Parts: sequence; C-alpha cells; structure tokens
Amino acid sequence: MLTLNHFLLASGLLFSIGLAGVLLRRNIIVIFMCLEMMLSAANLSLVAFSRFNLTEAGLPDYNAQVLVFFIVTVAAAEVAVGLAIIVALFKARETVHVNDLTSMKY
Amino acid sequence: MEISLLHLIVLLPLVTAVMIMVGAPARQLAQGSSVLNAVFGVLLFSLFDRDDAGFQFVASLNVLESPGINFALGVDGLGVVLVLLSVIVMLCAVWQVPKRIEGSEKLYIVSILLIGGGAIGAFATTDLFFFYAFHELALIPTFLMIGIFGHGPDRTSIAWKITIYLGVGSLVLLAGLLWLYQASGVESFDMLTLIEAGKNIDAEAQKWIFLLLIIGFGTLVSLFPFHSWAAPAYAAAPTPVSMLHAGVLKKFGLYGLLRLAVPMLPEGFAAWENLILVLLLGNVIFIGFVTISQRYLDRLLGYSSVMHMGYAFLGMMALNEVGYNGVVLMLFAHGLSVALLFALCGQLRERVPTLEIRELGGVAKAAPFLAVFFGLGAFASIGLPGFANFASEVMIFLAAFKDGLGEDGGITPLQITCIIAVWGVVISAVYMLRAYRNIFQGEREPQEGLLDVAMDQRWPLVLLVAGLVAAGIFPNLILNLLP
Amino acid sequence: MLGVITLLSPLITAAIIALGLRRVPEAASKLSVLSAIVGFVCSLIMLIWSCNPVEPLVWATAGDFSLKIGLLSDDKLAQGMLFIVTFVGLLVHVFSLGYMKDDPGKARYYMGLSLFMFSMTGIVLADNFAMMFIFWELVGVSSYLLIGHWFMKDSAADAANKAFMVNRIGDFGFMAGILLLFAITGSLGFEEIRTAIENSPPAQGLLIVATLCIFCGAVGKSAQFPLHVWLPDAMEGPTPVSALIHAATMVAAGVYMMVRVIFLVEAAPMAGEIIAYIGGGTALLAALMATQQDDIKKVLAYSTLSQLGYMVMAVGLVAKHPGGDYAGHAAFFHLYTHAFFKALLFLGSGAIIYACHHEQNIWKMGGLFRRMPKVAITFAIGTAALMGFPFVTSGFWSKEIILAEAYGTPVLFWIGVGTASLTAFYMTRLFLIVFFGEPRTDHAAHAKDPGAVMTRPLMILAVPSLIAASGLVYKWFGIHPPHHADGHATFILGASIGALIFGVSLGFFLYKGKKKEPIGFALFRDKFYIDEIYIGMVRVCQDGVAYVAKALDQIVVDSLAVLGSARLARGVGNLFRFTQVGNLQGYAFLFGGGVLVAIILLFSFAR
Repeated sequence: MLTLNHFLLASGLLFSIGLAGVLLRRNIIVIFMCLEMMLSAANLSLVAFSRFNLTEAGLPDYNAQVLVFFIVTVAAAEVAVGLAIIVALFKARETVHVNDLTSMKY
Repeated sequence: MEISLLHLIVLLPLVTAVMIMVGAPARQLAQGSSVLNAVFGVLLFSLFDRDDAGFQFVASLNVLESPGINFALGVDGLGVVLVLLSVIVMLCAVWQVPKRIEGSEKLYIVSILLIGGGAIGAFATTDLFFFYAFHELALIPTFLMIGIFGHGPDRTSIAWKITIYLGVGSLVLLAGLLWLYQASGVESFDMLTLIEAGKNIDAEAQKWIFLLLIIGFGTLVSLFPFHSWAAPAYAAAPTPVSMLHAGVLKKFGLYGLLRLAVPMLPEGFAAWENLILVLLLGNVIFIGFVTISQRYLDRLLGYSSVMHMGYAFLGMMALNEVGYNGVVLMLFAHGLSVALLFALCGQLRERVPTLEIRELGGVAKAAPFLAVFFGLGAFASIGLPGFANFASEVMIFLAAFKDGLGEDGGITPLQITCIIAVWGVVISAVYMLRAYRNIFQGEREPQEGLLDVAMDQRWPLVLLVAGLVAAGIFPNLILNLLP
Repeated sequence: MLGVITLLSPLITAAIIALGLRRVPEAASKLSVLSAIVGFVCSLIMLIWSCNPVEPLVWATAGDFSLKIGLLSDDKLAQGMLFIVTFVGLLVHVFSLGYMKDDPGKARYYMGLSLFMFSMTGIVLADNFAMMFIFWELVGVSSYLLIGHWFMKDSAADAANKAFMVNRIGDFGFMAGILLLFAITGSLGFEEIRTAIENSPPAQGLLIVATLCIFCGAVGKSAQFPLHVWLPDAMEGPTPVSALIHAATMVAAGVYMMVRVIFLVEAAPMAGEIIAYIGGGTALLAALMATQQDDIKKVLAYSTLSQLGYMVMAVGLVAKHPGGDYAGHAAFFHLYTHAFFKALLFLGSGAIIYACHHEQNIWKMGGLFRRMPKVAITFAIGTAALMGFPFVTSGFWSKEIILAEAYGTPVLFWIGVGTASLTAFYMTRLFLIVFFGEPRTDHAAHAKDPGAVMTRPLMILAVPSLIAASGLVYKWFGIHPPHHADGHATFILGASIGALIFGVSLGFFLYKGKKKEPIGFALFRDKFYIDEIYIGMVRVCQDGVAYVAKALDQIVVDSLAVLGSARLARGVGNLFRFTQVGNLQGYAFLFGGGVLVAIILLFSFAR
C-alpha cells in the first residue's frame, strides 16, 4: 500500500538529486535541468498532498493542484527565457561552463 | 483653497523650470520670470503687516490625511525676510548666467531655477514635510551643477564630497526631525502645532534631539567642524550656484534652528550651550585664520562665508530679541554681500587666467566698475557702517551684553565668547583688504585686453549693493518685521 | 537743526559726487567746497549762539531696545571741536583746489573729503557710543580711501591697508570696551553711563578693564604706542589730507573721545595712570624718531605723534587730580591749538612739496626762504607755535598747562620737558635745512610761492596759531589760564624755556650750513625697528598661526575626520567584497544557507 510517506520520500530524493546537481554540476544546461527536476519534486509532493488530504466530500484538495498548474506554467516560461539566455550566453562567451563565467567576482 | 501671493512666489520658478524642460526658450523665460518673482517678493514684503507677530499669507492644501501632510504656506517676519532675500539673489543669479555655456543651457538654467525655487519653498512653507522636501529639491541640482558645469580639474570629486557630506547631514537632520515628531506626540507635520507640542518633551529627549538637529542643521550651514565641504564646493561651483547656495540655500540650516530647534527645545539648547559657543569660535577665529592663508580668491570667499556663519550662531546664543533681530538682519546682509562677491569673483574668473591672489594685480586700472563694486562688497563683508552687515554685527554683539553681567557680577561665558569673536572683525579686514589690495591695486599691469563688466550684467550687482546700503542705513526696514 | 545740516550736507555732497559727478571733477570740487562752507557757517553759528536740540533718530530697534542717532546740542566741547573740524576742513578744501588741480582722480578725492567731513562731524556730535562707533568706523573708511588715493602706487595702497588694519585692532578694543560698559551700566549714552557709574560704582577691576578697552580705540585712532605705526605711513596720501585727517582732526578724535568720557578715567585712576604713561612714552619715542627723518612729511608726522602723546598724557593725568575736570580740558586745549598750527605746518609743507615738483626729501630743498617768503613766514609761525615759543604763540600756553598738570609726577614731567626740548631741536633742524643754505636741487632753485588759493589758507591759519590761546578762548572753554597757583610757576616756566633754548641752540649748532646729515643715528631713523618687529610678529602670530590653522583644517578636519569616515566606509565595503566569489553555484549555496539560517532564527525566536 502506497502511503503519503512513500510519495514524500520519492519527492525528497528527487529534490535532493536536483539540488546536488545544481550545486555540483558545472554545465549550465545540466544545472538548468536539475533545477527543473527540483520543481518536479515539488509538484510531486503537491499532487500527493492533494490526493491524500481528501475533503469532507471525498474530493481531492484542489488548492494543491492549482498550485501545480502554476508551477508548470512558470516552469514553461522559465525554460523559454532560461534557454534563450543560455543560447545568448553561449553566443557571447562560447562556453556554458560556469567556472568560466566569473566576471562578477569581487 | 485660496491662492495667495506666496503661492505665486513659490510656484513661479518651479513652473518656469517645467516649461523650460518641455521646450520654452530657456534664458529669456528664466530672466523674465525671475524679474517677475522679484517684483512679487518686494510686493509681499511691502504688504506684510509689521504689527502682526503671527504667520501671514497663510494657505493650506491637504495632501495626505494621515499623518497629516499639508501643502501649507505662510510667512512670519523671519520667513518674509528670507523669501525677499531669495528672490533678489535668484534674480541676480539668473542674470549672471554666463553668455557661453559649455553644455546644455537648458539643464543649467533649469537647475538654477530649481535651486532658487526650492529655497523659496523651504522658507515659505509651514509644513515640516515640505520644509524638508523643498530643501532637498534645491540640493540635488546643486550637486549636479558642480559636477557637470563646475570649474577646476577635481570638480567631480568635490561634487561627490558635497553630495555625500550634505546627504549625511540631511539624514542626521531627518532623524532628528522624525524623533522630534515622534516625541511631540501629535499627528501633524504642521510646524506651529509641533512647536506648541514640543514644549512637553522631557529634558533628556530634548538634549539628544537637539544634538541631532545641531549636527544636521549645522552641517548644512557649515558650522565648525562640519564645514569642510563648503569652500571647495563654492570654489568649484558655477557662479550662479555659488551665489544661490552661499547666499540663500545655506541659510536653511540657521532658519531651521531658529524656527524649530530653539523655540521647541529650550532645555536641549541649554544643555549644549557651551559646546555651541566653542564651535562658533571655531567658525569665527579658527576658520578666520584658515581664510587668511588661502591663496585663491574663490576659496577665500568660500571660507569667509563659513566664518561669518559663526556670528549668526553668536546672535542665536544670546536668546533675546536683540540677538534674534541681529541674526535675521545678518542672514539678509550676508546673503546679499556674499552673492555680490561671488558674482564679481565669477566675472573676474572669466577675465583672468588664474584666481591666485599673488599672481594678480592692478585690475582696477582696466576694470574700474569691477574694482569699485568688489570694494563695496569687501567693505560690506568686513562690516563697515553703511552696509547692513555692520548693523547686524553690532546688534549681535550688543545682544550678548544686553542682559547685563552674570549673576556673580562677572562676565558670562557668552560674553567672553563674544569679545573673542569681535577679534573676527580684525581677521576679516586682514584677509579681505589684503586680497583687494593685491588683486585690484598696485603697480602691476593687468593683462592685455581685460574688459570691464558688461553693461547688461551690471544692474543686478547695483541692485545687490542698493539692497545692502538700504538695509544698512535703515536697518529697521528689516528689524521692524519681528515684533 | 544746524547740527543736522552740518552733518548731512557733506554726506549729500559725497553721494551726489559718487552717483553723478564722477566725470565732472570741476563741479565736484566746487560742490564739495560749498558744503564745507555751509558746515563752517553752521558751526560758527552754533559756537556763538548755540542751537536747539533735535530729537534723536531711532536707527535700529529690536523689541524694547533701540540704537539712536542723537546729536549733542548744548555742549561746549562738541561745539569747539566742530569749529576746529569745519574751520580746518574748509581751509583744506580750498587749499586742495590748488594742490589737486591736475589730479585725474579729483572727483574721487573730493568725494573722500566730503565723506570724511560727514564722519568726523558725526564723531564730534555723537551723544552715545553706538553712534560714535559708527562714525568712528566711517572716518576709518574715508581715511583708507584718501590715503590710498593714488592706489596705483604700491606704497600708497600698502599704507592705506596698514592704516585700516592697525585701526581695526584699536577698534576691537573699543568695541569690547563699549560692550563691557553696556553690560555694566545697561546703556550706551555718555550721560546715562556717567550717571550710572556715579550712582552705583561698579567693581573697580571691571571698570579699569573697560576703560582701558575704550582707550584702545583712542590708541588706534590717535596712533599711540604700540599702534602708532600706521600714521607715518599714512603720509602717502595727498598732503592736504595729511593736514586735515592725519594731523588736525581725525587723529585727534581719539583724544576727543577720551575727553568726552573723562569720567571713566576719573572713576578708574589705575587706568588713568597707564594711559598717562602710554601717552608720555609715545611723546618721547616719537620725538626721538622725528629727529632723524629726511622726509618733510615724516618729520611732521612723528611730531604729530609726539603731540598726541602729550594730549593722551594729559588725559591720563586726570586721575591724579580727582574732583576737577581741569586736565581733561588741558588735553582738549592742546588738541585745539595743535589743530591750527599742525594744519598750518602740513599745508605749508604741501605748498613746498608742490613748488618743488613733489619732492619730499628735505636734503633736496634748501634756500627756500627767499624764494617762497609767504610760505616761509607762515611756516615759521607754525614752527614757533609747535616749539612753544613763550608768550606769543598758542602752543606755548597749552603745553604749559600740560606740564603744570604733570608737575606732581616727576617721570612724566621730565618726559614732557625732554620732549619739548626735542621738539625744538627737530623743528630747528627742519627749518634750517629747508629754508636756509643753498638750494641743493634744480627744483628747489626754481621754487616760488604758489597761487593765492594755496597761500591764503596758510595766512588764515597763522592767525589762530598765534592768538588761539587768548583770554577770550579761556573764557569760552571755562578753564583758567595757567596761573600756576601752586607756586611752581617759575620753575615750570623756567624748565620749558630752558628746554626750548637748549633744543634750538643744539639744532643751530648741529645743522647750520650742513649739506647732509651730520650725525646719522640709525636707531632713531629706523624708528627703533618697531615696524620690522611688527612685521616679524605678524608673520609669526598671524600668518604662522594661519598656516598652522590651515594645515590643521586640512589634516585633522578634512583628511582625518571627513575623508577618514569616507575611507572607513570604503574599507568595510572592501571587507564584504570578498563574499562575491563570482561562482554561480557558490551564490546558490550561500543563498540556500542564508534561507536556512533565517528559518532557524525565525523559529528559535518565535518560540
């Protein structure tokens, strides 16, 4: 029997993998993908909460689902803008490696 | 809401500035509006009822319900003198704008109008919020003008210095004002209400609020040791800006002290009395000596204007009617004379390669008008009878002795300070006449082709001298306003 | 009313000249002379018939306090002084018509003269300290303008500046004294102060300080030691100005002022003592300096200093004779006779200088007695009066009174006698060198009497130089002729005549027929090096202090305090700059960590 805890565990794992990717990987596209993974982890836990927190009428909690839609929309917009920035960055610097992008240092 | 004459005077420069920004001919419009404003100012001065001690030409427009900010105007005897001073100096400053400007003439003239308009507004409003806001409105173009149109290679760093220095001063001032507002416990920015309520503030709070105010206002008025922005800034600023700032805007600090700090915080005032006495001696004697060793005329004038502020503080310290009247007359006289001197210094700057006093000489031969008027300005500045400065200095000195000797039959600290400060009249004679003798007199030949002041720039200078002489011979023109 | 006319007519004249007649020198000079005539006639009427008092004019008010301009109406002292000022002033105006005929700055010159007449009249008629101080400063201005008339000459411009600044030092003391008296008595009027001091005598110490401070003003204006250095330099001005301002009237204003407030000296005898010694010291020092000067005007200038010293000594001696105002009048009496004969001498020297084409060195003159008889004879009369030639000159009588006053104080008495002897000596020297012997330059050889416009004033002045001390005048001033009732008359008379004979014969012996300075005593010629000492003092005490102040201002106030706080802000900023590692993931990590810390803090504090 799958309980809420299983979903939360999966979501937490997913989030941790994403966070580790964001902090440790050096390729900006991979970082970006990991960021998306963290968002998906959040979505997963939201859907799980929605499913397991039934209202008195036996319906799922739609508030959480609405939030999921928000995140999906924002993520889509973010991907569009983010990829465009990365493309522009690559055009300017010819690299997507974050170690080479240190012009903000000091 | 009714429109009073004061509205016209406050808004005219600002409206003119806006019109110039959207494309009206800058120079002509500014000159015309400054003349018109001066006429309004004189009209206001003559309509002012000398028997009425309260605020006149009062008008108020509510801007914000809570915490009660009103666009409220009104002048009493102190305000009307400063408004008159502002419109006169502004008229002269606008007409002293150089013929050729390197850069945008529009920006130059709009800035001058904003400085003048801001100063007038600060003196004419009775609302604490607008009091502060108008002053800031005038300060910002001052900084810009020094940075963009200033003289000398280090004008940018000087502009930064005055910006940060006065910015910090204004911030301390703001802190003091907000504390004052909070401590008085009234939900209003109306100064009159505040002054009434301020008397209830307890002594300990008064003490610290007064310290904040004296540092804040003191910085703006170049009280020693918060003076080091002044002389370099006046030396670097374009002539009309020096005239307006040293002549008018700087008086805001003293105006604020006289208007707010002294009546509201008597116990705070008493607590710092000896400190202020020492600081004002710093202005008169220490800065006096610093002035003597200046090598450039523009810096010398800048320091001399710092020095004279010490006398104004001295008059304030006497805490009696004579001193108060003396200070008001001093503000008026100093404003006119310093504007005159800076205008002439600007004229001289256009004509000679350097303002180093030692390098000049014999200018009177080629430019008699310049020489005579600089002489008059110098005489006024060192306090010779016939000019308003003398009357004000005498009043200030007498004020310290008006209430007789101290309780033990000896002389009080204030009186000792006053006698030491009288030495300042010797110091100012030394530096002013030395400079005058070196620049204008003597056997040295002035350089080739040095021309006198252009005809159309003469009359504003004549106006300034006329104002000084009129108030010098009939000081009651100004003094009678303060019953 | 007459007082008002006397006061205002020169002011109006000066204003008209300044505003409208600068380019019309002829009209300006005529107008100025006219105003001098008006002033003289008015003062004469006031002297003979006296005049109605006028309501004081309120000049400045503040609450219940006001400064008033009030004219003395029925005051012998003021009337006498006003007569001197307007009389000498009128003659100087007329003399200047000749002397300044071709000067390009003639209009400016007459404007200065009129301004001076206005200010001096104001001092004379002032009935309170505030008004006196106003006009006190104004005579300073007009003196500055007139000394610096030829401001394109470095020496004239420097002399004008020096005169003004030295006077300002005196004014500092004067102002301080006025303020102290104001605090003590609560009033500024002379009468009120006198009454207040008589009714409730203040603490002696404070009164002495106040009196000495007031006296400082006189030290500056009347050029007493140690502020005497400006007067000889002031001879850079046109000679008629030297006659009017720097000999007869303005420099006497200090003495006049002290006589007006003589009650202060009486109330503070200690101060009187100091004043008397300063006066005596100045008289002796200046007479010594005068013996070795080569410039005709400088000799007369030092002699003026010396005579002013006499007057100040007489002022101070009042303290020795409490109860009477005899010595105060002695000072004024000497002021009065001195004004005539010193103006005569200066105008005479002006005529000589004019005739010798602006040559002032006495060693380049000579033999002028035959060539300029009118000037020579009047000059001789002036010289005799200055030396105090017994019985026939006015100077003799006034000097005699002062010596009689000083009799009780041996030091001052012998200083007085010694000075009288020196005076006789240096005037003999001057007269011999200028008027006798052979002309030593071409200019001197071709000199001749100037026109009537210049010689008439000399002749007119010669009359009062002789008779100004007649019985009528004694009666007028309400003082007694030097009757020497105390029985020392013969001794004093003998001493002063002996001094005269000694001085004159020594002068004859040393200078008869000499073509150059036979003794050459550098210490006296170089004025005891006082100027040099002062220049050094100014360098150290003023310019040095100024330099140190400037350095302190720059280093401590500007660099340490102001720039220091700016540097502090920048340093703190630099410290935090190192957190900007420039690594994207580093930022992300710090951000996450920061959020965590914030959450933990929030929860721990919320509990």
